[in-house]
Amino acid sequence: MRRVLKYAVGAAGLALLLGACASDDDGDNGTTSDNGAASDLSVGLAFDIGGRGDRSFNDAAAAGLERARDELGVDFQELSPNPDGSNRGELLRELADAGREPIFGIGYAFIEDMDTAAGEYPDVQFIRIDGIPSDHDNVAVMTFADHEGSFLMGVAAALKTESGQVGIIGGNEGAVINAFAAGFKQGVEAVDPSIEIADQRLAAGEDASGFRDAAGARVAAEAMYDRGIDVIYTPAGDSNVGTFQAAADAGKWAIGTDSDQYETVGDPELQEVILTSMLKRVDVAVFDSIAAFADGEDIVSHAYDLSDDGVGYTTSGGFIDDIVDELDDYKQRIVDGEIEVSPTE
Amino acid sequence: MTTRTEPPIQTEPDGQAHRLSRMHRMLLLVALGFIAISLVRVVSGEVVLTSSGTARAMLTLALPIAMCALGGLVAERAGVINIGLEGMMILGTWGAGFGGWHYGPWGALLGALIGGALGGLLHAVATVSFGVDHIVSGVAINLVAAGLVRFLSEAVYTDATEGGGPTMSPPLGSVSTFDVPILSSGPNVLGRLENTGVFLISDVGGLLRGLTSGLTVFTLIALAMIPLVWFILWRTALGLRWRSAGESPVAAESLGVNVYRMKYLAVVVSGALAGLGGFVLVMFEQSYREGQTGGRGFIGLAAMIFGNWRPGGLLAGSGLFGYADAVRLRAATSAAILALLLLVGLILAAVGIWDLYRRRYVLSAVLLVLAGLAVVGWAGLDALPHEVTTMTPYLVTLAVLATASQRLRPPAADGVRYRRGEEH
Repeated sequence: MRRVLKYAVGAAGLALLLGACASDDDGDNGTTSDNGAASDLSVGLAFDIGGRGDRSFNDAAAAGLERARDELGVDFQELSPNPDGSNRGELLRELADAGREPIFGIGYAFIEDMDTAAGEYPDVQFIRIDGIPSDHDNVAVMTFADHEGSFLMGVAAALKTESGQVGIIGGNEGAVINAFAAGFKQGVEAVDPSIEIADQRLAAGEDASGFRDAAGARVAAEAMYDRGIDVIYTPAGDSNVGTFQAAADAGKWAIGTDSDQYETVGDPELQEVILTSMLKRVDVAVFDSIAAFADGEDIVSHAYDLSDDGVGYTTSGGFIDDIVDELDDYKQRIVDGEIEVSPTE
Repeated sequence: MTTRTEPPIQTEPDGQAHRLSRMHRMLLLVALGFIAISLVRVVSGEVVLTSSGTARAMLTLALPIAMCALGGLVAERAGVINIGLEGMMILGTWGAGFGGWHYGPWGALLGALIGGALGGLLHAVATVSFGVDHIVSGVAINLVAAGLVRFLSEAVYTDATEGGGPTMSPPLGSVSTFDVPILSSGPNVLGRLENTGVFLISDVGGLLRGLTSGLTVFTLIALAMIPLVWFILWRTALGLRWRSAGESPVAAESLGVNVYRMKYLAVVVSGALAGLGGFVLVMFEQSYREGQTGGRGFIGLAAMIFGNWRPGGLLAGSGLFGYADAVRLRAATSAAILALLLLVGLILAAVGIWDLYRRRYVLSAVLLVLAGLAVVGWAGLDALPHEVTTMTPYLVTLAVLATASQRLRPPAADGVRYRRGEEH
């Protein structure tokens, strides 16, 4: 028994060691900042589940960070959470202890962890992308009018569908994804109320597992295309690629989210099916915040929407060139307040 | 193990005749289950229950689980509990991502096998050579694997120009698929049967069409593992030695079997099979992604236990889970999930009546009440909350397997620490 215990302790120690290596080694990618104007700013950023390379939400944040490095010459450290996201709080503390400021948390799932960390480090500026406003003075929250951008995606889907059936495959049933779905449905209805909309979510409630379930997304999308749906809007983070694969197999359309997924998907076969993407300018929010901080300004919470191009759509691939006028028309009417898009159904 | 009901030394008590009858019994049960599904499809009108798309998705979703379960089977038949299947599967997915990125799909297969086998080797060194408690070693492997793949990805994928990052490999591209000629393409016999909509005929057509279309060579390789492992375990000398190491290592040792070597080999093969499960998943998602295993290793382990440490049983368990998962993902509304409730009710009722016949009155009463509740639920409810539909695969598998496998018998020396020469 004693021997067993000895090895058990040894194995557990090894596991901890490796785990520690893994998080300590998280890339300090900002050391190559010779080309920009030198700044002594050292920014910290913790990604949402999936981390850098998700070709969507996180990569948009990474793009903003890299732009700040190139143009402002700031140094940065980025960390990715573990698969279930349970170490978000630790990542923020690690960045704060390393003296990084401001510290970004990407995604609404940082709500609790960031508020807790902000209480522990009252002198450090935290910035959250997405999520509800914070009670702490040192937490700025940058939100996006996802429902307004999704409305335009609904318009595009409604104009492009030939079967009169469109679908949504969302990551979960949380408030953020519900806003995507609500905006999309209003957009479809604005064009043609007779179009049928299927709504499928990969996980229940706020369960984040649906954002990294590409296999599930592919199965769900195959079923939708089998049923005759020919455009699917997919606000499901890392799972989006599953929908694109099903679209490529079926020869039908899919609409991406957060980044310009036509550019980021990295596979020519899949590019051909990405009609457009609901662009969420996380990169702009990240860059603007860093620039303001570098100038010594106070960082204030801001809601990005269609009027300041914080959300929008992409035309890469040229698949929606024929309907750009109509999309811009709807966009103008939303900006003017003529159309009110609700974030809930 | 409180589930053990037979004397520990007795290995496989059944002779040829008995085994045949068991085979027939199992086929009969599967056929009855399928007729029940077909009946539910007709009553509820939910085509998704037996469509070819559902069958194909079932195969896709069940295979990774079945491969893990098969890995667990080999290890536990040789007497080593393998709770590290999840970790070995994670190593397999990473190996598949790395091998696929550099050397294409066959490289991915090799990478996955090596990754999983290395995990198995670690488990073998800990449990066989050093006598570490099997559960402790397995849990440690799960933890180590999760940390290690992040570390490796950061070292390897972060600088990849083709994409990829600390949590994912560059995209691997798709593998070409094929349909079985005549049956599922060209004349498409099965497709025509499926479209008739007739009770049973349409359902058989849908099931078979799903299983004979959209195949890849790797699906076939993985599928072939199931009969292959059965053959090795029950028809070859190696399999006999493996099983003797799991039933009575001391007796095997006295007959000159090198039990350590047998256990080593079995656990390494077990890891490679779990890695193969990871490979199937990576090929479907077309890249390695951190966390993509999603606990399938543990589900595989559960499928193997419910499957009574037998290939047929674990196939049924993983197939059932894959089926319920496929229906959940493909269903347009929760009405299809409610129809599954009717199916569960029918199965519970059948088992309950059987128990009544066998004079197990208490059990029978409980099952019949549950069956009644399920049928009332199906008839009375219009929709299910999404929390329930996402749990469906777990609920259905639990309900069916818990009632179907009431007499489980693990290998007698499963998880027992064995030291060479100590028993003499």
